[in-house]
Amino acid sequence: MKQILMGNEAIALGLIHAGVDMVSGYPGTPSSEILGNFQKFRDKNKLEAYAQWATNEKVGFEVAYAGAISGKRTCATMKQVGLNVASDALMSASYIGLKGAMLLISCDDPGFYSSQTEQDSRSFAKFARIPVLDPSTPQEAYDMVKLGIEFSHEFESIVMLRPVMRVSHAREICDVDDALHVKANQGNFERNIPRWGAVPPAGRFRQGLEQIDRLEAIKAWNWDHLIKPKTHALKGETILCLTSGTGDGYVREAMSELEIKADILKLDMPYPLPKEKLEALFVNYDKIIVFEESFPCIEEQLSSVKLYGKLTKHVHLIDEFSKDKVLAALAKADVIAPSHAYQSEKYDQELPKRPPNMCPGCPHRDVHYAITKVFKKKKSIYTSDIGCYTLGLNQAAIDTILCMGASISMASGFSISDPDKTVVATIGDSTFMHSGVAPLINAVYQNHKFVLIILDNSTTAMTGRQTTPERTNPNQIDIKRIIEGCGIACHEYVYEQDLTKTVDFMKSLQEAYKTATSPVVAVVREFCVLDKDNALGRLGNVVVEVDEDKCVACDSCITNYKCPPMHYNDAGKMEIDPFLCAGCGSCLDVVCPTDAFVKKEEK
Amino acid sequence: MKYQIVIAGIGGQGAVFLVKVLSIASAITHQKCLGTENHGMSQRGGSVSCYVKIGDFYAPAIDEGQADLLIALEGNEALRNIQYLSKERGVIVMNAPKNFPKVDFETHSIDAFKKAKAKEFPIDALNVYMLGVTLALDAHFPFTCKEIEEAITMMNAKVAEKNITVLHQGINDTKAKK
Repeated sequence: MKQILMGNEAIALGLIHAGVDMVSGYPGTPSSEILGNFQKFRDKNKLEAYAQWATNEKVGFEVAYAGAISGKRTCATMKQVGLNVASDALMSASYIGLKGAMLLISCDDPGFYSSQTEQDSRSFAKFARIPVLDPSTPQEAYDMVKLGIEFSHEFESIVMLRPVMRVSHAREICDVDDALHVKANQGNFERNIPRWGAVPPAGRFRQGLEQIDRLEAIKAWNWDHLIKPKTHALKGETILCLTSGTGDGYVREAMSELEIKADILKLDMPYPLPKEKLEALFVNYDKIIVFEESFPCIEEQLSSVKLYGKLTKHVHLIDEFSKDKVLAALAKADVIAPSHAYQSEKYDQELPKRPPNMCPGCPHRDVHYAITKVFKKKKSIYTSDIGCYTLGLNQAAIDTILCMGASISMASGFSISDPDKTVVATIGDSTFMHSGVAPLINAVYQNHKFVLIILDNSTTAMTGRQTTPERTNPNQIDIKRIIEGCGIACHEYVYEQDLTKTVDFMKSLQEAYKTATSPVVAVVREFCVLDKDNALGRLGNVVVEVDEDKCVACDSCITNYKCPPMHYNDAGKMEIDPFLCAGCGSCLDVVCPTDAFVKKEEK
Repeated sequence: MKYQIVIAGIGGQGAVFLVKVLSIASAITHQKCLGTENHGMSQRGGSVSCYVKIGDFYAPAIDEGQADLLIALEGNEALRNIQYLSKERGVIVMNAPKNFPKVDFETHSIDAFKKAKAKEFPIDALNVYMLGVTLALDAHFPFTCKEIEEAITMMNAKVAEKNITVLHQGINDTKAKK
């Protein structure tokens, strides 16, 4: 059956068709729609399957892994940065192996579209010594999910699927199976203490040797089933392009459009590679060029003086692929003359900058604004975390971003290293649950003094509003009680679209900080403006306009408050775009030093 | 046939919706289609650009100098993406005011914001309105009005009638202007 599917939808459908009935993960762009779509397919077709968001990637991985070692077919989903969090479990699980099947999906983000780092999960697979499949299109992603699950079962190994953003968020007409049912695969954990409870060193040493044997078997399988059949299509040109994932699409298109002659061999499983067999192919070629995103994963496994790639600096080292980059690499390797077939002139005049920004009406903007208003920039350090509120960078309300949970642990560090400044940490509710609780316990345990503000909109807003622990079980899991469980007071503020009140709340925290001997912790009960259930009745309905006589174009509003509807008009005065304004009215009282924002009408 | 479209706009304007409609239209007309869209960091008001490649393609992204059509839901976003257009055949359809900078491409512009402000159509249907404008203007556009209507209906039958009305408004406004 043919269907138009986005890569992540195709992956979700592939999981169902591969008989996976247990999926766990943590949201992260570009991976988030996999679990969400699996839930949609499940609910729509009344399938019996577990698919839930975990508090973080390590937890998600471990839930799915337990399912797999008791014989079920399972999957864990995350993005490349999330895999760092799950890596502790992955390294160990890779030694131990499994009984049923488990697909670890880690989505990469070449080009940094929504990530702190580029990273290549294939290199992580290599580090962990597990096989990895690298799809180039949604159709291939679908096929590889099914292949990966079968393969995982056969080799008792976790298999990684590594789609990049241009696969996860690509859309194409896919040929998929008709049936939509899941045969619930019964788990049955069989006690085997030497295997599942292996204690170093003797047990792990043996498992380490088994892992190496397994890799050799997988290499042979990779050659026989995935690579060798493709070698029949090689035409005996002088140049061989080794490709992987999306790199293949760019190479294939550029070659056919510009009629460049070369053989292309796509490696569906870039690790582990049958090194000797591949290198034997090189004999017939003058040059072998490796096109892969993002790290030299294939290149590092092979050796030949004829090999060109990232390690030899012929292929770009950072950013996503393009056909232009394919041509540049071919030219550097002296395969073609320098070509500018894929370069064109940009518009050379200045255009309005549109950095990612918080939505109009978003409560985070007010909280960041109030923090900088009360805790002055010169006397404060603002640590923050990963989520929509990270966009408070635009308001210069954030000094550091490292990784999830680090806002709190770094606040601890700064309180020791720079005690004359007030450290104000901001973190969202989902991130707090993900990896903020442990550093908070650490801070209380060691009496670190800083201000921590938990921005609680009860959803994982940045990745598409996935549910959070509190949201699903509000009567059991509550941030306030977690804080109180640490033996400290929780300052609570129910957000209103009235900046004066938000600023007053910050002043109360400043007061509390003066006499505090441990962290001053607050939770701001917010909502996400895109969250229909939670924002209902809490969004404003005021249309704001600018009194041009009062506006002195001082930049204060767009520098410190940064709301998307605010822009300069032809007269050089501030203007509010009525199509973007959410009607919150927050800007009315505090933002403008000359009170130029005025209420026009109720919406 | 090979035809490449860049859709540019700002967050909240519904660029992704157009990618979906155009890929459904490709399926209806039995053409291969590969599209890609921006997710994650493109909050409301930030730049969004999406690609639709119809025909025999392998790579989801469009390279510079390759696109046949640029649909811009906002004028400045047209300028920001102009390098993706083919020098020989590139066409721009954009929502921009009359006094907008001229560029060296076949350009069709309409001030859709002005019409929305005058409440001629609801602003949240700007994407469909611009698709109507495109249908009326681009002689090489690979779909007919009927195919687009069918795609819009397949996408969401509940709001299809409303969307198709705006689609025709885009077509008629453009024809009236000619």
